[in-house]
Amino acid sequence: MVQLVGSLRKELADSLSTCKVLVVGAGGIGCELLKNLVLTGFKNIEVIDLDTIDVSNLNRQFLFQKKHVGKSKAQVAKESALQFCPTANITAYHDSIMNPDYNVEFFRKFMLVMNALDNRAARNHVNRMCLAADIPLIESGTAGYLGQVTVIKKGLTECYECQPKPTQKTFPGCTIRNTPSEPIHCIVWAKYLFNQLFGEEDADQEVSPDTADPEAAWKPEEAAARATASEKDGDIKRVSTKDWARSTGYDPVKLFNKLFKDDIMYLLTMDKLWKKRKAPTPLDWQQLENREESPGSGLKDQQVLGVWGYCQLFQHSVETLRTQLQEKGDGAELVWDKDDPPAMDFVTAAANLRMHIFSMNMKSRFDVKSMAGNIIPAIATTNAVIAGLIVLEGLKILSGEVESCRTIFLNKCPNLRKKLLVPCVLDPPSANCYVCASKPEVTVKLNVHKTMVLSLQDRILKERFGMVAPDVQIEDGKGTILISSEEGETEANNSKFLADFGIRNGSRLQVDDFLQDYTLLVNVLHTEELERDVEFEVVGEAPDKAPPPQSNQEDVNSITNGNKDSAQPSTSSKGQHVEKESCFLSFVSVMSREKKSQKKKIKYSNNINGDPYRSCIRL
Amino acid sequence: TMAATKANKEQKYDRQLRLWGDHGQESLENAHVCLINATATGTEILKNLVLPGIGAFTIVDGHIVSGEDVGNNFFLSKNSIGKSPDKLLDNDPEFFHRFTIVIGVQLPESTCLRLGSVLWSASVPFLVCKTYGLIGYIRLVVQEHTVIESHPDNALEDLRLDQPFSEFTNHIQSYDLENMEKKDHSHTPWIIVVAKYLDKWLSEHNCQAPKTYREKEAFKLFIREGILKNENGVPEDEENFEEAIKNVNTALNPTKIPSAVEDLFNSQQCSNITSQTPSFWVMLRAVKEFVHNEGNGNLPVRGTIPDMIADSQKFINLQNVSAVTYFCPKCSGLCWCVGKNASFLRVVRCRSLAEEYNVDSVNKDEIASCMDNPDSEMVFYLMLRAVDRFYQQHSRYPGVYNYQVEEDISRLKLCVNSLLQEYSLNVNIKDDYIHEFCRYGAAEPHTVAAFLGGSAAQEAIKIISHQFVPFNNTFIYNAMSQTSATLHL
Repeated sequence: MVQLVGSLRKELADSLSTCKVLVVGAGGIGCELLKNLVLTGFKNIEVIDLDTIDVSNLNRQFLFQKKHVGKSKAQVAKESALQFCPTANITAYHDSIMNPDYNVEFFRKFMLVMNALDNRAARNHVNRMCLAADIPLIESGTAGYLGQVTVIKKGLTECYECQPKPTQKTFPGCTIRNTPSEPIHCIVWAKYLFNQLFGEEDADQEVSPDTADPEAAWKPEEAAARATASEKDGDIKRVSTKDWARSTGYDPVKLFNKLFKDDIMYLLTMDKLWKKRKAPTPLDWQQLENREESPGSGLKDQQVLGVWGYCQLFQHSVETLRTQLQEKGDGAELVWDKDDPPAMDFVTAAANLRMHIFSMNMKSRFDVKSMAGNIIPAIATTNAVIAGLIVLEGLKILSGEVESCRTIFLNKCPNLRKKLLVPCVLDPPSANCYVCASKPEVTVKLNVHKTMVLSLQDRILKERFGMVAPDVQIEDGKGTILISSEEGETEANNSKFLADFGIRNGSRLQVDDFLQDYTLLVNVLHTEELERDVEFEVVGEAPDKAPPPQSNQEDVNSITNGNKDSAQPSTSSKGQHVEKESCFLSFVSVMSREKKSQKKKIKYSNNINGDPYRSCIRL
Repeated sequence: TMAATKANKEQKYDRQLRLWGDHGQESLENAHVCLINATATGTEILKNLVLPGIGAFTIVDGHIVSGEDVGNNFFLSKNSIGKSPDKLLDNDPEFFHRFTIVIGVQLPESTCLRLGSVLWSASVPFLVCKTYGLIGYIRLVVQEHTVIESHPDNALEDLRLDQPFSEFTNHIQSYDLENMEKKDHSHTPWIIVVAKYLDKWLSEHNCQAPKTYREKEAFKLFIREGILKNENGVPEDEENFEEAIKNVNTALNPTKIPSAVEDLFNSQQCSNITSQTPSFWVMLRAVKEFVHNEGNGNLPVRGTIPDMIADSQKFINLQNVSAVTYFCPKCSGLCWCVGKNASFLRVVRCRSLAEEYNVDSVNKDEIASCMDNPDSEMVFYLMLRAVDRFYQQHSRYPGVYNYQVEEDISRLKLCVNSLLQEYSLNVNIKDDYIHEFCRYGAAEPHTVAAFLGGSAAQEAIKIISHQFVPFNNTFIYNAMSQTSATLHL
């Protein structure tokens, strides 16, 4: 049989063997993509991935085998691909693409960049790097049976950030700390608890009762007399959770009684919270001890244990994690990972105990894991399909036919029009995109008296606007430098408020990220009226709570569809809904679900003018 | 170690168990797949089935690895059986009866038809796959494929408010909305709210549920009046009541058996149960019996309720009442699954290849109506048929050798015309397509093979797991424009 290369146009075949391409990510899509590239005749390929191989990758990432678990994905992918194509010239980087080493110059080496990523931060970053270097980018993503491929070319198409995407679901601190009403709240709390006890302490991840909860409108002094719990708690409050835990020698029973008895009794004293809600019920280790429980049936992971079962799981996982921490030596920290059994056990146990306390139905380890890890189902077949599509789009780009590229959506099954694939014409860049417009500008609503410089940097510029190392200058005629990306220059400003630098309603900030070659003008809109726990709002964008557009609802449902059967009944209000959404939101990859309206936008690209070859590639 | 293996599997297959569950995984592990021809497309399919954990494979391939194959094939280590499918069909056609599914890749037409008839009479599903240049083709051939879990999107909830069963009626009576604390009142699940007000409405309206738009609007207003008021007569904020009002239309949907299921009840397999009848039909018959007896004309209750505003205890109570199953209480496994999915049971019946190829039974209507648009994906199906005809006449595919391309164009054109004539199809195929197919020279470009391998393996998994509904019966992929279509041939 004749090879494809034989039927490629000569120039295209030549360019395949000489051009250099970058594959960002060597996971599900990355493995398939690397294989397709070398078998199509690409010779110079660089692949980067910061991750190592996990057992749960082996159901789809076919370049990896059991013996590779723990090794660099990029490196092993390269070695495996070389086995069936020894003549390829593959460079592997076990590193983050957001590392400053991979600057605009680095990106300029390539004819084409292909993303095979799983998170939005990296996608945003590569998008900006490709815009800055003016290199075409193919973006892709899958979730279960769904997938998508699109092409981004500066000045010609929408960039990855042209369409605002729903931000990652976050929960107000007081919901997590005081009044959880859904299993996800307890799971988030349990993950915070893990970090507070064993990992990096983060002030935004407090787990103890929040006495400043405005809803409680509660003065501790007044209630102190009534609260016996608060007395016991008195000493503990003053030291960090970790220090206290350490002082007890990570005694599981002491930890248990503090978290699930004393803290809950303390919450009960904030009686305003329980006027309209069902009050929590504290647990007591001694009372629970050795309670007889009938074992469940079915797979271990999918069983829901009894309360005492979770007490024991809590005890065992705390003991294991304590040993791990000790083995790492002084000052060491553990990093939570859904695929690390004791870490996952700990979160399962702590979350379920808290669910029980707040009268929710407990969940199996399997379900807790999908929520805690934002797990998106992933299968070999969808990735294979998507990686095939990516290379075909790549060939069009290399043939100089970017205009004939498409955004392609892969459906779960043929839609009503009997189409499994839905190709859409690429949209032109959005004129007011805050990334690819010629002079990007945004307006941010915040309280200048309450917003610290550090949260401007971390929450707004890094988290919300995806910058890596921002420099901020106030347009006050003096060019005051508010934040410098050079270490040691402006750290003193961090804990001051914006108002301390004369920033007020109408102030303008010029923000630069040199790595991304990106400048953004931020207009400050001062307000005193933000909702509780909301630090800022970007003007002109749907607030976080907005549900995804109706037309995409179908996709959202189907993402979790397969889970339904095994899912435990959700409790109280709207449980399942939020779970789905958080799963969907974490699925950053699929831009489809984030686009304004897939259906409206579809311009069937084939056969509109009756000539199928107008848009075809002459391979 | 059994437990350890199990835990290991759970870990390895974690991401896919979330789609098809342990029982889906178990069917994959018990399956024996036969793959014919380990070409680029064949190997892609193989890889995509090995990864999710299919239990056993048999590869039939009479070809010897050539230099060309190495270019687009990545794991040709354990080499084939060395027998060609034709030899097996000659000497031992029953060889193919043992498989859960047979996947034939890049088969010539004659082999495909022979194998198709052997598998058809043995009721073994057959998936025909072909990558031809920039065109992909998959054809599913199965007499009858039953699906218990079809995983439909946007299925209507099964609430039964129009025909409440006794447990539910009793449960509703345990609520007394008039004499309730405010906290309880605003945490009563909306289903209960609607049921309560429906009860009242029925007693005031001659037992006639709201049917027309006007009546439904009046019913909504009726519910709204039930919202508690504060001391100044201003309605309180009761989200559960708002939910109830919003859901009136869905809640009043009359309970009925979906027509697809009704059709299955009336089918012959359901009526004549013998000792040979597959378990799906036996269970379907049981469901049918249930409908006529305990069910009072209704399917078993699905046992799930939507999420809603409610306090946990009330929600759980309602959940427990809804989860009541009168259906086969002794057997918790498959029967339970069938009962729960009763409204979603599906049976896919494909046409045989013989029917598709026979001049008298060819689906001319489908071909002609698609070809109203001369660039419909149907044109690629016809071109693939013409190319097969070319192969029969010349023992090679058109355009394989560069020096013959020009002559092959006119030869292929003759094949196209004779095909259309034979089936008396009055359609026009543009010359462009004939040129393009000659240009392909039967190449199997890897990236097209990768796409097709993913799609075909996905269909095979649906067939093996009996979950999700496979397409019926032909899938065409056009890599030039990244379009696809399913055709009924």
